[in-house]
Amino acid sequence: MKKTPAILVIFITSALAGAGWYYVTHRAGAGAGDDAAFGGLGGQVTVAYRSEPRTFNRLVAAQTAEDLVARLTQATLVRLNRATGEIEPRLATSWTGSPDGLTWTLRLADGVSFSDGTPFTSADVVFTFQALFDERVKSEIATSLLIEGKAPQVRAVDASTVVLILPATYGPGLSLLDAVPILPRHKLQASLEAGTFREAWSVTTPLSEIVGLGPFVMDRYVPGERLAFRRNPNFWLKDDRGRALPYLDSIELQFVADVNTEVLRLQNGQADLTSAQVRFEDLSALKALESRGQLTIYDAGVSIAPDMMWFNLHPASSTASDRPWLQDAGLRQAISESVDRSALVNTVFLGEAVEIGGPITPGHKSWFASELAPPPLNRAAAAQRLSAMGLIDRNGDGMLDDARGRPVRFSLLTQKGHTVRERSAAILQEQLRQIGIGVDVVPLEVRTMIESWSKNAYDAIYFAIEFDSFDPARHLDFWLSSGAFHFWHPRQTSPATLWEASLDEVMRKQATTLDPAERRRLFVEAQKVLAANVPVLYFAAPKVMLATSARVRGATPSVLVPHLLWNAERLSVADPVTKR
Amino acid sequence: MRGTLGRFLLWRLAGAVAFVLVVSSTSLLLVRLAPGDAVSDLKLTAPDASVVESARDRLGLNRPAWQQLFAWLWGLPQLDLGTSSRFGRSVGPLVLDRLANTGLLAGLALLIATTIGITLGTASGAWLGATGRRSVGIASVALVACPPILFALLLLTLASGPNAIVSSAPGDLALPLLALGLPLAAVIERLQSRAASDALQLPHIRVAAARGVPNSRLVWVHTLRSSLSPVLGVYGIIIGTLFSGSVAVEVITTWPGIGRLMLDGLQSRDVNLVAGCTLAGAGMIALGNLAADLIRAVVDPRVREAV
Repeated sequence: MKKTPAILVIFITSALAGAGWYYVTHRAGAGAGDDAAFGGLGGQVTVAYRSEPRTFNRLVAAQTAEDLVARLTQATLVRLNRATGEIEPRLATSWTGSPDGLTWTLRLADGVSFSDGTPFTSADVVFTFQALFDERVKSEIATSLLIEGKAPQVRAVDASTVVLILPATYGPGLSLLDAVPILPRHKLQASLEAGTFREAWSVTTPLSEIVGLGPFVMDRYVPGERLAFRRNPNFWLKDDRGRALPYLDSIELQFVADVNTEVLRLQNGQADLTSAQVRFEDLSALKALESRGQLTIYDAGVSIAPDMMWFNLHPASSTASDRPWLQDAGLRQAISESVDRSALVNTVFLGEAVEIGGPITPGHKSWFASELAPPPLNRAAAAQRLSAMGLIDRNGDGMLDDARGRPVRFSLLTQKGHTVRERSAAILQEQLRQIGIGVDVVPLEVRTMIESWSKNAYDAIYFAIEFDSFDPARHLDFWLSSGAFHFWHPRQTSPATLWEASLDEVMRKQATTLDPAERRRLFVEAQKVLAANVPVLYFAAPKVMLATSARVRGATPSVLVPHLLWNAERLSVADPVTKR
Repeated sequence: MRGTLGRFLLWRLAGAVAFVLVVSSTSLLLVRLAPGDAVSDLKLTAPDASVVESARDRLGLNRPAWQQLFAWLWGLPQLDLGTSSRFGRSVGPLVLDRLANTGLLAGLALLIATTIGITLGTASGAWLGATGRRSVGIASVALVACPPILFALLLLTLASGPNAIVSSAPGDLALPLLALGLPLAAVIERLQSRAASDALQLPHIRVAAARGVPNSRLVWVHTLRSSLSPVLGVYGIIIGTLFSGSVAVEVITTWPGIGRLMLDGLQSRDVNLVAGCTLAGAGMIALGNLAADLIRAVVDPRVREAV
């Protein structure tokens, strides 16, 4: 028998191995697992985006645009998986905590470099925390990282290990690190030392100066027009099959000023994603495009940032002396009982929402307590409450009057141009008229509304804000009387009411307890305090509906912002024009 | 004649400068005096009031409005329009960059509108039969009645899908050009149609017809030349309409022009940016009007004498 030449065997084996490797790494949709959602390597995703960053320095800006840029260009030690709610490794590959939960030792990933090739070490982590809590920087994200009013400390053990020391036990644990992008010491140390860190990495800084550990780097910025990102060749993460992330070659944010244009861009295929949730009035048109194979629509779950209505409860506001009934809990309870939540769900959200009575919705996953149902519609009970407050119809015009004979009437500020809020406010106006309360809906541009709020020059506001975590202890600014987002009476030096003192106590305990079951019990207790005093009224929480062009693969929708781009390194497209 | 024309030009130029200064100063004051400012949203997120105050200081918002206005006016001769709070860079280059885009869009739209409007208007007024005249008239009236914002949305919808006939990609000129140019073409067509129809009754046209001048020459040379005055007379207004219409069209079609920049400025309460955009827009309108007046003055001596 003739022997096969060794060179031929080696050649055939190499060819088969090469073909196998190519099949595994390049074939779209091959195999099981996450490859079912894999389009291909390369290509670009275009995003119609309505806000624009004011700075590229995440530490000094807390808005969603700056957060998105940081999530694309920087990396954190750990990351909150926005789909599952679990913490997952990023720059820290493993960690151990002390039994008291105060000290965490984190092992950093080896061989990681910034986008300019400079190696990443523990010194960058220490530097980032130093900048974060530097008095001169006045970081806008630092307050959300304080525990019992004190800053966590970080020290380096060696080049690949850091120790995080918390000032008190902290229920959310390492999830606080999800908010802290690790910055390059070699680029920013000089500005921190010079006291100019707040001005560093402004939007006029040459993009080549802005380096990071994230999946993308900024490539081109045209103010008011577009911000383009290209893949970071030094990004260290790989997928389960060993393919280098990110899959995409580039992402481009195209700034659009108008929500209608944003939707049209998605419809006509000029945008692959939009920054925000799909408006309910656009849903049927987009579903028609989905049935034609042009779009994919995702139901990410119930929103954790439902619209809310709050009254001005500041004791120094003019309403406190002029119309004291506006600050009476009885009025708020009567409103909560007299609003037909199902009408809101069906008319404003076209059925794509759930009725709620408090800030925690089914979207908050394990934190949602189904036993805390919204109060049932009971206008008779509401009328009794109002009558007990001395608010009755004194002149037979069908509307209530206070003890001084003045009509029970208040103004409700809401965001101009936000169709859901404007419609909801109109429905509230109509429903409250049925129990004799007059409401003057005043749609205002957001900045004007914030100005009225900050000056206590309002009766009531209908608005919402986004949250960046499921864990309530990450949003103490809302729950604590000293918090900036304690909307009805923010930044109190000491609790103005007994129930707020009680709420402070429960929430502080909840935030510093480690046992998950006890934390949940305490949080239910806090929600009960809130429900009894209803400083904020909630009526409906919509589903977060998102849409992408059909070519986008690997989207992991989340109710948290950025809904689709939080996991941008795993996005791909089915038809990458430039393949790697 | 040269002296009269020079005086006319000086007079109009002075009026144009005053117009631009008054309009841009008023816009600065209006944005400044409206509730809320460029740092209002910081009040939600700033760790303490000192951050807001320092931002207000940096942007000059702690000064009285009149001081900010005078500072802005003082910078004008040095071509310093201040710094944009929205984009963190000098307003001058931002505005110039966008002005070039709007100028391109408006210039081409005017060219298209004039070419289509004059041609179709002359045809419908003096060339076509009753059916053709009626068809052109109906189409023009429909376009005239349609505001640019609606027409832009309509075109954008038509541009949707894989079989779109017009590209609506950001940066593509076709869609904003059509959205801005076609309604104006309809306005010009209506004016020109009437003027051409009237011109047919002028004695010299009738004499030319009686002498056997071919109909095509009669319409496209004699009638056309005699009927241009009404359109030239409203060119200043048309240029103003172009710039006001371009704001809506730029926003809808995401054309990076001065209109979109202005909207960005208004939404973010960027005092310097709004004033800079208004200065540029008003300047373009004033220049357009000046050019139209000048052409009319050169063509028609009665206009110069009226000054």
